Amino acid sequence: MFGWIVLALVGGAALYGVALYNGLVAGRNQVGNGWKQIDVQLKRRYDLIPNLVEVAKDYMSYEQETLKQVVEARTMAMAARGPAQASVAEAQLSGVLGKFFALAESYPDLKANQTVTNLMEELTSTENKIAFARQHYNDSVMAQNNRVEQFPSVLLARAFAFGPHDYFTIPESEIQPVKVDLR
Amino acid sequence: MAAAPECPSCGVANPAGQAFCSRCGGALGAALRPLPAAPAAAGDPAAPGGALAATDFRGAARRNQQNTWRLIIIMVVIGGLLGYLVGAVIESAVRDGQGAAFDPFGSAGGLAGAAVMLAAGLAWTVVALAWGDRIVLSLAGAREVGEDAEPVLHHVVEEMAIAAGVAKPRVAVIDSPALNAFATGMRPDRSAVAVTRGLLAALTRSELQAVVGHEMGHVINLDIRYGTAVGIFVGLIALVADGALRILRFGGAARGRDRRRGSGLLMILLILFAILAPLAARLVQMAISRQREYLADATAVRLTRDPHALIGALEKLGGSSIPFGNANRAIQHLFIVNPFRDFAAAAGALMATHPPLAARLARLHALKG
Repeated sequence: MFGWIVLALVGGAALYGVALYNGLVAGRNQVGNGWKQIDVQLKRRYDLIPNLVEVAKDYMSYEQETLKQVVEARTMAMAARGPAQASVAEAQLSGVLGKFFALAESYPDLKANQTVTNLMEELTSTENKIAFARQHYNDSVMAQNNRVEQFPSVLLARAFAFGPHDYFTIPESEIQPVKVDLR
Repeated sequence: MAAAPECPSCGVANPAGQAFCSRCGGALGAALRPLPAAPAAAGDPAAPGGALAATDFRGAARRNQQNTWRLIIIMVVIGGLLGYLVGAVIESAVRDGQGAAFDPFGSAGGLAGAAVMLAAGLAWTVVALAWGDRIVLSLAGAREVGEDAEPVLHHVVEEMAIAAGVAKPRVAVIDSPALNAFATGMRPDRSAVAVTRGLLAALTRSELQAVVGHEMGHVINLDIRYGTAVGIFVGLIALVADGALRILRFGGAARGRDRRRGSGLLMILLILFAILAPLAARLVQMAISRQREYLADATAVRLTRDPHALIGALEKLGGSSIPFGNANRAIQHLFIVNPFRDFAAAAGALMATHPPLAARLARLHALKG
């Protein structure tokens, strides 16, 4: 009788362990997938920017400096690797893009151009998608980090090297309102 | 403070964390502020929108989930009891004929009846899960549209799907000037969102996003599946109760002479139950439906992090008096606001599919604060 109880306890503990382990794996995959989602949207943005700059160039002849900044920020963001680096570069790109959008407001000809309107909607949507993908990624990271750090799953996480993941955050130094100079 | 940054160029309020204005695409001052994401809020209570992101809507979602399970259990108990009573009455009638003893509270026939009832409910559910969703779109007169026809709607739906971390649902439009929207699909990876033309015309981009977020909430909370399963049980209970009453009317008259005390009591119980069960089941179904609306509202806020947009959208939806021609009673519970104004007017009633708009708005204001 006693033997059976011990067996049941051990069996139950083993099943619980398997469930915990599978939870950790699923969480890690979700974080990985979340990061890929952000990546997809970032790439889409890299593709859209040159098109928009190309069209805008003809209308915004006085804003060559801003356009150059947009292109440079894009090149820098494309070179960034991993959540920590990407956070900084993307914040910069978002900043100059914001400036560009604000400037575009003062060019009625530009806004009247159907191609530009479509590109702007595409880019706005892509910016939103990046924000939402980041939100989802951060939620997944929090859930996984909780699993990795909480008892009893922390024991399994240590044993099988499930590390905590980086959040996609924006460093404080980058957080400042965009200055718009309309002359 | 970053709850709803106003667009510097057109003055429209925008969701926190959004870099560009939803209406005009202009840059927002808050462009570089961090999202009021859960991680920041957990450690830092001063983070913008922290209290909202960290606990409020998650708690709301959990409570609603528990309520739903409680209601479903009640539903299953009602169905099981009805099945038991029918089985027990049949068995007692047979035993009466044989002159054998009969225990009304441990009847094998009753247990079999309950089991049959539950099994039938389950089987029906499986069938509906496999084929149910295809009918709904056509019932509502919704037509699927491509990305080139409705780019903004497609973008908004895709944005919400990304926020929820699920595959993008199919996108459909209903040719009606009324303001309404609904979602269908038994699985999050095979769903559809439909909105009316009137809605597309009347709402701003962020309000449309909130409405789509509400529908996405129904999809990821599996409301459509729950709703279908509960609906089936309601139908089944009504069917069996009706059948039992019919049988009793004929069978009871024929064998009325030699009824024993035990089976007589059972018979009265069954009659009472057959009358009350469908009503009770219907009340429970509507209560579940109302719970799920609150939950979908909370989910919309979780996805958009912007209660203002949903409040604005619901106010516009509630304020509109354009009738919805294509509405169908069978799918009224799927819409964001009940398309039948007569019901909506008395939405405080027990039989309403949706909570009163004022109550939903009050809860959203509470989330915001």
